[in-house]
Amino acid sequence: MSSIPILHPYRSLPGTWDEMYDGSTVRPHYQKVFEVLQQADVSTLQLKEHLAGKVFMNQGITFTVYSEDEGIERIFPFDIIPRIITSAEWLQIETGIKQRLKALNLFLKDIYSTQEIIKEGVVPADLVASCPHYIREAFGIPVPHDIYIHVSGIDLIKGEDGKFYVLEDNLRTPSGVSYMLENREVTKRIFPDLFMGTIVKRVSDYPIFLHQILLSLAPYGADDPTIVLLTPGVFNSAYYEHSFLAKQMGIALVEGRDLVVDNHKVYMKTTRGLKSVDVIYRRLDDEYLDPLVFNPNSLLGVPGLMSAYRKGNVALVNAVGNGVADDKAVYAYVPAMIKYYLNEEPILPNVPTYNLSDDESREYVFENIDSMVIKQTNQSGGYGMIMGNKLIEEYWAKAKIDITRDPRHYIAQPIIKLSTVPCFIDGRLQPRHVDLRPYALCGPDEIRIVPGGLTRVALKDGSLVVNSSQGGGSKDTWVVDF
Amino acid sequence: MLSRIADSLFWLNRYMERADGMTRLIHVHYILSMDKSLSGNSGWKPVLELYTSLSAEVHESIQHNIPAVLKKLLIGEDNLNSLQVIVSRARENARGAQDQLTKEVWEQVNQMYHMVNDHSLKIRLNTNEAMAIIENFSNQTVVFAGITDITMERGLGWNFMNLGKFIERCLQTISIVNKELEIITEHGVDARDILQWRYLLLCLSGYEMHLKNYRSQEHEKNVMDQVLLNENFPHSVIYSLTRINYYLENIRIIHGEVNISLARDFGRLYSKVKYMELQSFTVQSLREFLQELANDLGDFTRELSQHYFNYS
Repeated sequence: MSSIPILHPYRSLPGTWDEMYDGSTVRPHYQKVFEVLQQADVSTLQLKEHLAGKVFMNQGITFTVYSEDEGIERIFPFDIIPRIITSAEWLQIETGIKQRLKALNLFLKDIYSTQEIIKEGVVPADLVASCPHYIREAFGIPVPHDIYIHVSGIDLIKGEDGKFYVLEDNLRTPSGVSYMLENREVTKRIFPDLFMGTIVKRVSDYPIFLHQILLSLAPYGADDPTIVLLTPGVFNSAYYEHSFLAKQMGIALVEGRDLVVDNHKVYMKTTRGLKSVDVIYRRLDDEYLDPLVFNPNSLLGVPGLMSAYRKGNVALVNAVGNGVADDKAVYAYVPAMIKYYLNEEPILPNVPTYNLSDDESREYVFENIDSMVIKQTNQSGGYGMIMGNKLIEEYWAKAKIDITRDPRHYIAQPIIKLSTVPCFIDGRLQPRHVDLRPYALCGPDEIRIVPGGLTRVALKDGSLVVNSSQGGGSKDTWVVDF
Repeated sequence: MLSRIADSLFWLNRYMERADGMTRLIHVHYILSMDKSLSGNSGWKPVLELYTSLSAEVHESIQHNIPAVLKKLLIGEDNLNSLQVIVSRARENARGAQDQLTKEVWEQVNQMYHMVNDHSLKIRLNTNEAMAIIENFSNQTVVFAGITDITMERGLGWNFMNLGKFIERCLQTISIVNKELEIITEHGVDARDILQWRYLLLCLSGYEMHLKNYRSQEHEKNVMDQVLLNENFPHSVIYSLTRINYYLENIRIIHGEVNISLARDFGRLYSKVKYMELQSFTVQSLREFLQELANDLGDFTRELSQHYFNYS
């Protein structure tokens, strides 16, 4: 068997931090993977790639991409080479995220009750008031154990300097955790040899931790609480994940039409009649939860749900109204929140962010647009992004007018060259840009983050956009003692 | 159990049972169509009538064009009962109830869904591969039944799944038998010839059993006895009804229900078959009886779904 040296042509990109290759040698924590890859030939790797794709397809681990109103079912592209993070790096990520979540949780409690942080002038009142995800209806509703952000997926990136930064906070219904878990299972199947002698920290207990948290939120007196996962239904792009988590936790997967509210209590419709529900892990956005309070046209939610929530008869995970804390303009104030609530310096820094309501900053951004990215504050999934280095003149002229007219809904950040990792693409190893989304769980006693997370990859050559809706894929992510 | 989930499980199994009956029948017909048939009519019209929603003209025009027939039956987009539609519906139901299915069952349904949606089928059905394709589908439905049997928990869901399966099987047997009786009446075939009955028995996987158990030459009476009243024949009407009765009773016990009209209505239907006397029927009256039975079963199914599956 002739082995084609797939590694030799591997070149890291200029001005970018490559996580495997430092320009002249392979970094020590990648050494083992490097050796295994060196011994493998292209056809073996292609076979593994094919096998992985088949596993995902047969399991129905697919998502739906919407473009031009048409949904297409696809597997989420998976790159077979694991990404490696050292325990030392992980320690910083873990403590940094815990610190950030503590502050954000206090912020939400504050914003929906006494609003001290506004009175003290740390966060401007109009910033909060103008946020579309600030939910007035949630004001004054007490939540169990004062926890708002039970489940979060904070996106991190590694910059040109090799340091981690927080790119955005996802505090509403972050998805992707099933991919973190399935990617690991698939990697075990295709690369058993890589696991031999390497101790990769375990991620598989995530559903157990989540279940424990859900149990701890049951209203007082429910000794055998009923917990359900509320999904928008089979047509939702993350439906696989909803069914996966429900199954892993042994809880019922319900749709809005399965639930009914009577006298401020939530019930599900069973073959035996109505059964009361105590805790809802909802994967439905706030605005669809209850047509009586929010979007009256939504058929996905449950009429009366907010009244049951307000009375404390049902716990919702995550809490209602978290969107005010992961707004992209509020993001810029998170370091100030950490300082204000915890009197600490942020362990994980923010990416510099320009507030476009400020005339001077806006002018600066417009002048230096070729090194900037502009994002809409209420968009996610990579939609509504303007990459300054790939401008189309006509489009930009129009965008400038839109931004000047409504600056609150845009922010700008310098384009950061995300770090690269080796990916197996078109029969050879090539560097591609990645980010990292670790999943954190806040319970009454502690915050737990399973060591790892979802590494999203921009598979297109030169692309910096990792979102699955924009041609992104994912990788298994290992935290190893080194 | 959520009403919606019970409904989905019920329909998942109904569709898969239909896929099973249909692929077996197509397979048998495909092989037998290579022999010259007794009635001289070796076309696919009866199969098309049983399993498609197409017009009589279409049946007539394509019935001797085997690739065209197979495409209509298996992947025909304009046929609301094609295998592709049936399996897609099964998967839709499985997907909605995914948290109540084992990973193995889900993967089997999902795999079949991808097989039947394979774009190359359109071309491959024109070739010699057609037989292998049909055989494969038929095998996959059997694998589904096996995987379900060895992996699913014997809870409420299991009982609803089996209700779906046996209601569908019972209806299938009734319509296949009725179709056969229709052919016999219309073509005036000699009902005493075992070869004529072989087709029906093969479609219901009961030919070997027949040879072993029925020795006399009264084929018509023997075959009807087997397909309607033989308790040991898994495709007989009585077998399915006995199973339905059993699962219905299980569900009643699990729910702790007493005295429901559903059980009474089913009991009436069940007794009709249980205590029927074959000798007193002519071919014509038997056909009417079977049609009535199918209608009764339809009414019962509607009542069942109103009772347990009402959620929206």
